[in-house]
Amino acid sequence: MQGFRRELIAWLDKHEAELRLPIEGHPTLDEELAQFRHVKSALFDADWGRYGWPSSVGGLDGSSMLRAIVGEEIATRDLAEPGLWSMIEVLAPTVVAFGSPELVAAMVPPLLRGDETWCQGFSEPGSGSDLASLSCRATAVDGGWLINGQKVWTSFAQLAQRCILLTRTGEPGSAHRGITAFFVDMDSPGLTYRPIEIQNGRLEFCEVFYDDVFVPADRVLGGIGQGWQVAMDILPYERSTAFWHRGAFLHHRLDELVERVADAGEPDADDAHLLGQAFQTLMSFRFRSRSTQHRLAAGEPLGAETSIDKILIAAADQTLYNAVRDLLPGVIEFDADTEAGRWRWEYLYSKAATIYGGTAEIQRNIVARRLLDLGAEP
Amino acid sequence: MIDADDLALLAVSFSAAMAQAPGAGAADVALHELGWGELLVAAPLQGAAAAFAALGTTGSSACLLDDVLAHALGLAVTPDVCVVMPAPSRREPPGVRVGSSIHVHGLVSARIDTSAHVVVAVADDGGEVELLEIDAGMLGCGEGERALDPDRPYRRVAADLGPDGVRVVSAAAEWDDAVRDARAALTHQLIAVSRVMLELARQHAVDREQFGRAVASFQAVRHKLAEALVAIEGAEAVARASVEDDCDPLVATVAKSLAGAAARLTATNAQQVLAGIGFTTDHPFHRSLKRMMVIDTLFGSARTLPTEIGHTLLSRGGAPRLVEL
Repeated sequence: MQGFRRELIAWLDKHEAELRLPIEGHPTLDEELAQFRHVKSALFDADWGRYGWPSSVGGLDGSSMLRAIVGEEIATRDLAEPGLWSMIEVLAPTVVAFGSPELVAAMVPPLLRGDETWCQGFSEPGSGSDLASLSCRATAVDGGWLINGQKVWTSFAQLAQRCILLTRTGEPGSAHRGITAFFVDMDSPGLTYRPIEIQNGRLEFCEVFYDDVFVPADRVLGGIGQGWQVAMDILPYERSTAFWHRGAFLHHRLDELVERVADAGEPDADDAHLLGQAFQTLMSFRFRSRSTQHRLAAGEPLGAETSIDKILIAAADQTLYNAVRDLLPGVIEFDADTEAGRWRWEYLYSKAATIYGGTAEIQRNIVARRLLDLGAEP
Repeated sequence: MIDADDLALLAVSFSAAMAQAPGAGAADVALHELGWGELLVAAPLQGAAAAFAALGTTGSSACLLDDVLAHALGLAVTPDVCVVMPAPSRREPPGVRVGSSIHVHGLVSARIDTSAHVVVAVADDGGEVELLEIDAGMLGCGEGERALDPDRPYRRVAADLGPDGVRVVSAAAEWDDAVRDARAALTHQLIAVSRVMLELARQHAVDREQFGRAVASFQAVRHKLAEALVAIEGAEAVARASVEDDCDPLVATVAKSLAGAAARLTATNAQQVLAGIGFTTDHPFHRSLKRMMVIDTLFGSARTLPTEIGHTLLSRGGAPRLVEL
């Protein structure tokens, strides 16, 4: 692992300049997407983007930790928008596991090369934390399925070519038993979307409407009624390489913050305390996640105990950006330069860390029920 | 190095000895007979981690921290070695040399009751730390004073010493190593004490009924206990790494800080869940609470350590990764 990292760092040192597209000021989402694709494509061509992925999708096999290391070094150099990067780490392994061999061979390589992006159609207006209550309907028709309903909070749907979509194929009220997952082309007739502007000004996600959208039968992931397993399968991937990447990104920002505070001169004990708290909160995530990565690489199943990883990384995210706000007084509130814009943007986004991927409350419910054995809630 | 299985076996026998002789003196002797001193030499960090976890789990008042410090400072590890520790919440040597006199302000373990001599680390102007040995009677340590923890495993000491009766043991001691080893060991005790508190509260929540149902079924209660477990596990992850060979000394500092914070949160949440019974001496919770508060103050507390960590980051000019995958 350490040899792999050293070689990767040497390669990045040599090629960093050409990996960075010229972007003036705070990048637009389109510019971030272009930068992201540029980096993915260069990494794939140089093989770094192929380690840790199976050979069936153009990868070079090897441990998923190799992917985690690549993600970490990319985050440390601010070479790719972290949300776009994580999306691949979360979705691709699940499609590899549940898609037909033909589908996987056709669809995953363009994703790894950065030619495509995908999105995740899970949440609905009436189904957030209670995901198993979802009602977007898939009805069997000749040769496939017709989909009708609405999704929401679909990150980067407007940029995506494909969607991993959860639908109801069982009776209404069939909960997690009656859910089926599909791999849907975003340019399918009848599929429309409306981007939603969030607090930081970015069009982070969309409402997506399905109006008699036809999906061929060979686009089912897993089997009919297996959608809940597909959704749950995403969890270990999210909590391994994707979390590690997010943690590395936060680490890089904390590193920058320490530098900013040191350069500003005369930091007092309160300043040091905030930095120390941010660092130790991040370290508790990092050391915990490190053992999770090793467990996954050793073939161990990941389960409820990774809710702890999720709570820890959300705490690290928010502790860091709260410290940013306090240690750089007024920067987030008043300043107009590019760096201030980035801190402002990221500060506002950090508040989502206790919401996306299962809220902090849902995670605590899981810890209480499964890890503390407190019995079922009434 | 020591085999993991051997270490686990030793930990079991340590726990049994601690349970049999909970007081300080007898337990210290029993543990040394079981090979605690040799373990400390063979595997100082891992051995101390196992022994201090047993201290936390059993609630024993055995004075093993003196041995950890003695080993780190290059002194012989014996059941009567007694080393003065920093003042509450501090990391600096307890002694300061000013001209020809030495001011001592710190803590000692219960070994002060039986040891004839104590060792004091003293900082001089030049940044060196020397080790001095003095007669135990030269330290002002009140007999039978009242304190929070009824076993009084640690007590305040203070003294102003002249040159008489002071023997130099070492002119340049590795104080930072002692701080690191003490923190790594105490981290494991704090985590074990926290687990005891959490289990007491968990059992109470499952057994206690109000409104016709177990209080464990109320989300407000469940989340308090879940938060405690998350904090404990987060600290434990760093604690495990703090005893790996060649690890950055900052890891032990972060581990102690997180373990102290986890212990505080667990104590607060557990006591809230235990409610009335948690305030009594009928219920065992008070022992863990008091012990946790004492251990939190040793070699830097959850209040002072984040500040120290922040200053370390500022002086290094960045946030080190500490571990790689």
